Amino acid sequence: MPDGSYAHPQQRQFNPYTENGGTILAIAGADFTVIAGDTRQSEGYSIQTRYAPKVFRLTDRAVLAVNGFAADGNMFVKKVKQRLEWYRHAHAKDMPLRAIARLIQTMLYAQRFFPYYVYNILGGIEEDGSGAVYSFDPVGSYEREACRAAGAAQSLVQPFLDNQIYFKNQQLPPGQTRPLHLSLSDVLSIVIDSFTSATERHIEVGDGLEIYVVLAKGRGPQGLEAVRGAQELTTNAEGDRVFIVRRELKKD
Amino acid sequence: MQTVDMQQLKSGEVNLGTSIMAVQFRDGVVVGADSRTTTGSYIANRVTDKLTHIHDRIYCCRSGSAADTQAIADIVHYHLQMLTQQSGERPTVHIAGNVFQKLCYENKDALSAGIIVAGWDKDAGPSVYNIPLGGGLFRQPWAIGGSGSTYVYGYCDATYQEGWGRDETVNFVKNTLSLAMSRDGSSGGVIRMCVITEDKVERLFVPGNELPKFWEGEEVLKLIAPVKKRHEFTDDMAVEV
Amino acid sequence: MNSVYSGPGFDFANTARNSFLESRGLPLPKATSTGTTIVGCLFKDGIVLGADTRATTGPIVADKNCEKIHFIADNIRCCGAGTAADTEFSTALIASNIEMHALSTGRKPRVVTAMTMLKQMLFRYQGNIGAALVLGGVDADGPHLFTIHPHGSTDKLPYVTMGSGSLAAMAVFESGWKQNMTREEALDLVTAAVSAGIFNDLGSGSNVDACVITASHTEMLRNFVKPNERVQKERSYKFARGTTAWKKEDIRDLIITEDITVIREGEAMDIS
Repeated sequence: MPDGSYAHPQQRQFNPYTENGGTILAIAGADFTVIAGDTRQSEGYSIQTRYAPKVFRLTDRAVLAVNGFAADGNMFVKKVKQRLEWYRHAHAKDMPLRAIARLIQTMLYAQRFFPYYVYNILGGIEEDGSGAVYSFDPVGSYEREACRAAGAAQSLVQPFLDNQIYFKNQQLPPGQTRPLHLSLSDVLSIVIDSFTSATERHIEVGDGLEIYVVLAKGRGPQGLEAVRGAQELTTNAEGDRVFIVRRELKKD
Repeated sequence: MQTVDMQQLKSGEVNLGTSIMAVQFRDGVVVGADSRTTTGSYIANRVTDKLTHIHDRIYCCRSGSAADTQAIADIVHYHLQMLTQQSGERPTVHIAGNVFQKLCYENKDALSAGIIVAGWDKDAGPSVYNIPLGGGLFRQPWAIGGSGSTYVYGYCDATYQEGWGRDETVNFVKNTLSLAMSRDGSSGGVIRMCVITEDKVERLFVPGNELPKFWEGEEVLKLIAPVKKRHEFTDDMAVEV
Repeated sequence: MNSVYSGPGFDFANTARNSFLESRGLPLPKATSTGTTIVGCLFKDGIVLGADTRATTGPIVADKNCEKIHFIADNIRCCGAGTAADTEFSTALIASNIEMHALSTGRKPRVVTAMTMLKQMLFRYQGNIGAALVLGGVDADGPHLFTIHPHGSTDKLPYVTMGSGSLAAMAVFESGWKQNMTREEALDLVTAAVSAGIFNDLGSGSNVDACVITASHTEMLRNFVKPNERVQKERSYKFARGTTAWKKEDIRDLIITEDITVIREGEAMDIS
């Protein structure tokens, strides 16, 4: 201080968390699930990278999307994958989807007082062959749903999904009926439109889009053959199958 | 204890985290400054002119908030023009200093401005006035200011002598500022100087790549270089390595 | 006692209430900020100004194609960054005052006049008017280019940038600017600088606006480059008639009919 006196004590704190932007979403169909995320990773007003995947294939029937603090997300996926590998060695089969969901819950809650700063969405096929989406909060609370959006543009995308998937605020015109489940091609176009729209109105969403499609065992690829550039990632073609579709998003 | 921290600038304010200087000599004064303006760690202007014209033979060096010091200098400039028109003669550096002091003292809680006023007038010849943060007014043979000045008080005390001529004084200012700029992160860029004498005001400019150099660790490199040379001859004296 | 009369300038009537609400944990509404890239560049016979067209409120894009190059006079323009309302009103006010000044002096306005008016106004408000400006124009003394910071400090430079994208844009200027450029070279450089902001700074986006000012002519190039056109959506989201639920139907006739009954014949007007 200029007058020679001492300043007040100052408290400094290290903040171990960062918000890295981006958005993820997943939609379950009757016998398929679509899990998607954009690939931009940002901090403040700067882009750290235009390609950082947020969606990961865990098994032939399970895909995990993570959003929030990227460092925590990557470490969490790494540990989930490790636990799934141990399970494979012990039981000679892949862990069922509902079991992976419960595993993720316990792993998140183990960090209750220093949480992984991430929102998880797990998508895939249940043992009964139905499409399923599980969504988690950072400390492990979870539920099974038909669709969920999370991340920076959650508040933009979720209402759109509620309207288009659950038909919220849409009165059925007389004489018309509604399908119980949407077709894969309908779901894919809703997913793509969700991200192009979020890119237009949210500054942290953009650059690239990765869409994972999980098909139930025995289901044909109908709805996917017309999709440009779909690539299969399945390891065992006898069971459930995983595909990836990539799209460009605006880069401003 | 509650004290007002004058060093604390309002958030996002443009700062002249500066090295400035003015020295009086036989026939006039030399004023000098670096050229860096910063907002946080970003250099908003790397070729700033901190030597501001106040009157024909009076200049000031500005340090602290860019907005505050520009506003003050504009107001003083206006007052001295009015005074010249009314009295029909050039104002003295002492008058200029007093106008600066009045503004800086009376608004001390709203301003962060450290200003050095210097020039030549008929009454006193060359003179230098320092107006530090609180709004004091001190006549000095030489004055330094800004964040970079703290590094070079010792150098100035040890080097300055009375009775210098123009060239010696210009060199002193150039060397002092170069030393301050090399140690202070908020100072840098080029050196701008003004030599104010009875006859004229002369502007001098030293580019960033022609600043006077002092010890920068080259001696250490020179010690390493010969060792490297010896490795080139290892064919002849393979044993020695 | 509240008066019906409202004086000139800002109204501070709600400051006490708002600071009380703020202390009770109610945050003030967020102003639209033009987290922006704005630039200016000197060339052989004038000035080129450039700006992106994105306006944001926090992380949400409020306007995808706003105009950030404001009119000051025929020969002077001003790019604004910071709080959108502040840049809009301070440039509009100074444009008005400059016109009055030009009318009373009978001379073409000078860039320094606009610069001095802006800096004195911003200094008076001690940074509370969040306007960061790039001012450029050509007058009797030739071309001039200034930056004006919210606290009222100014810089005069041959190439300048401001806003959240200023670092990205300045990197382009520092590597590409040279003395005595042609109009085309300057326009290309300004476009590259604003584009650097658009693609690398999240606060900036959409299109490039440019403005070329020379001694004889000012040319506003609105949406000079459009590198971020909207893509075609996969589906149509037109809702079928009857989608929106309603609880009550009330149909009103908006055509008002009046019957006029003449009670007494009036006298004819005297038109002699």
